[in-house]
Amino acid sequence: MIKTFDPLNPAAATIDDQQLAGLVQPTKLHRSLYISDEIFELEMSRIWGEAWIFIGHESQVKNPGDYYTTHINHRVPVILVRDRSGAVNVLHNRCAHKGAKLVDTVEGNARAFRCCYHGWTFNTDGSVLKIPNEAGYEGTGFDIKDPQNNLQTVRSASYRGFVFATLSATIVDLPEWLGGAAEVFDNLCDRAPEGEVEVAGGVLRYEHDCNWKLFLENLNDTMHPMVTHQSVVQAAEDYIATLPPEAVDQRAEAEIIPPFGASYENFEESGITGFAYGHHYDGGKTSIHANYSVNPDYWAAMVASYGEQRTKEILSFNTHNTLYYPSITIKSAVQNVRVVRPIAVDKCIIETWSFRLKGAPEEMLQRTLLYSRLINSSASMVGPDDLEAYSRIQDGLQSTGSEWVEMHRHYNRDEQLADRTVGGGTSDLDMRTQYQAWQAYMGRLAHHLPTGGDHHE
Amino acid sequence: MSNPDIDLRAIEQFLYDEANLLDNPDLDRWIELYSPDGSYWMPVKPDQADPLNHVSIFYDDRVMMEVRRRNFVHPRAASKDHRVRCSHIIGNVRCTGTTAQGDLIVTSNFQCVLYYRREQRVYAGTYEHHLIQEGGRFKIRHKKVLLINCDAPHKSLTIYL
Ligand code: FES
Ligand SMILES: [Fe+2]
Repeated sequence: MIKTFDPLNPAAATIDDQQLAGLVQPTKLHRSLYISDEIFELEMSRIWGEAWIFIGHESQVKNPGDYYTTHINHRVPVILVRDRSGAVNVLHNRCAHKGAKLVDTVEGNARAFRCCYHGWTFNTDGSVLKIPNEAGYEGTGFDIKDPQNNLQTVRSASYRGFVFATLSATIVDLPEWLGGAAEVFDNLCDRAPEGEVEVAGGVLRYEHDCNWKLFLENLNDTMHPMVTHQSVVQAAEDYIATLPPEAVDQRAEAEIIPPFGASYENFEESGITGFAYGHHYDGGKTSIHANYSVNPDYWAAMVASYGEQRTKEILSFNTHNTLYYPSITIKSAVQNVRVVRPIAVDKCIIETWSFRLKGAPEEMLQRTLLYSRLINSSASMVGPDDLEAYSRIQDGLQSTGSEWVEMHRHYNRDEQLADRTVGGGTSDLDMRTQYQAWQAYMGRLAHHLPTGGDHHE
Repeated sequence: MSNPDIDLRAIEQFLYDEANLLDNPDLDRWIELYSPDGSYWMPVKPDQADPLNHVSIFYDDRVMMEVRRRNFVHPRAASKDHRVRCSHIIGNVRCTGTTAQGDLIVTSNFQCVLYYRREQRVYAGTYEHHLIQEGGRFKIRHKKVLLINCDAPHKSLTIYL
């Protein structure tokens, strides 16, 4: 059934919609989801070409002319740019003349974008500024005022500074798409005494030789840390045991690493919450980040901004990972995010960005950067053990021993609330939530999405 | 620089010995080359000013080296099931000055071919060692590893370079 992908007609698959829907069952997934090139290409057009995809944060383009370039899916290059009026735009990174990628540096500042080939020049809002030797177009029917001669705009919207874009003209607006899950973006920003965050301290890019969905599935997989991360927790605890207690109190690592070995009961208690469009988080009342000590200067700055009651509310909302399916996962309690960039069926890049809480002492950013390095770096003692598991799934699913991957945990125990589904922290509710969205997007029914969990239409 | 107190040959020998402990990794002995306040830094940006206000690929002090040393040989660290083997070549060794603390600053170029998970890779860049000279022996106070592709996406790296 598999045939070569036709880039001019990505929707023309050899797998029909009914077959596609059958690959996702309530408690199991077909292995082709992870290893089929054809399904990957379909995902790129039907999920990544439809959903709101995280592009960047407004603070990455602070000043007029600042730009940052990335991709929406594995192919489509875009530019995030602040124009002269101060508006933030997402533009297709493609010259309106013969299609050269206009900007090929990751970031910078430009008064205008000038193409390297024939010198067409565009304003930072995308409008064409100048075409060299324009006389040659006279009388040819060419009209410089035709909007086709501008850089094409991508539909974009921002939520509290986080800029998303979509290649879809029909997907619901960003706030409705985020739904109740937006409360975690709110919590991240509310943790700043000034109510805003900004990108700081650079980015880590980590090449994963696995399907992009394996990274997403791991975010709220609370059955793995005590197994996969046992070695680093033991190594840290063994060494900590040799140190005097005063020496340990100084070390943020001693707060960060051991909770990865938390018990099944602890993770159970943290709970999982699923939303429409595949978003979900684990934690809320508690999480592996719940017992971090609070910097006294930070506490004072928060109380000065919000009062004690509200400060307590903000800091006690403790989620672990919150996925905005499919492109970004955030840690509000840590102030970092990871961004997913699929490359091929068995390859993706995971970017880790850290955020400064505006109005908080610099030590807060330093702790965030420590976390990003300690847990999310390609040379960390946590990430490589996770990736080892994903890579082995990628290899193991080539086996013909079974066609299916199972996800039964707590099936039929999910509790349906008005805008969300809640369940125990070790359930596969997060998987069910993601794959309902997968099924709806792939069946081009994204506007019918239920609220996650085991309730099927 | 031509300082008669500096024995460049001895410094080179010390760098080769260090690299040798990383080629067939022996982290127990490698850590002993570092002073108690020693640190190891691999920046993620070519012009990165410091390891605390910007994220890094590695930034370990002795405490984190001690944790990593234990994790490296832990039977349940799945990413370590695949042994890592390296081959370092070091050249262009130069003494370029001293730090405020009086440590020798030694820069060198390195290339490291690394074999891990059925795949061979190449790393290249610059080392900057801050060496404490005690008698005829050296301790490393700081080692900075600047990869020429530090800001590229990286695969899992389970060993110091
Ligand atoms: S392709 Fe850009 S000016 Fe011709
Ligand atoms: Fe993990």
